[in-house]
Amino acid sequence: MPDTETTAPRPGATPATAGFDPAARYRLSPRVGLRPEPFGALAYHFDTRRLVFLKSTDLVDLVNALADHPSAAAAIDHTVEPRRRSAFVTALASLAESGVVEPAVEPLLEHPA
Amino acid sequence: MTVTETTPDTALPESAELRADDVAETPADEVVDEVLVEEISIDGMCGVY
Repeated sequence: MPDTETTAPRPGATPATAGFDPAARYRLSPRVGLRPEPFGALAYHFDTRRLVFLKSTDLVDLVNALADHPSAAAAIDHTVEPRRRSAFVTALASLAESGVVEPAVEPLLEHPA
Repeated sequence: MTVTETTPDTALPESAELRADDVAETPADEVVDEVLVEEISIDGMCGVY
């Protein structure tokens, strides 16, 4: 039998946001392939061989836009309506923990107006 | 919800029937706890393919 393991948070569980800093700038890891799906996207990490389901197209948009904003919080504010903010902070923290997103190291490029 | 007073001898008008949305009103901006990320490991699945 295959050794599968799900790590979706249980209802009522405390969000695992430790180690994730919304004030920092993040990016999609270059070691991750992101395949668009009707439900959102499927991310595959080439190092850890883990599959991560991103179950919202808004979350996919957010992940793809992370590097264009000075902080993860700014990216969330720009992409997500306020009442859903908490869920997306938790989602990004989970993605950071699994290595799908990581702190950005390259400087933010300013786009000319 | 509309409240209609009636006497015992008077039949209830049809308009006095309770509507489902009068009883169970849900705030439009209620936030449902969203689970946006689910992770699985495919270690040990090599023989499946």
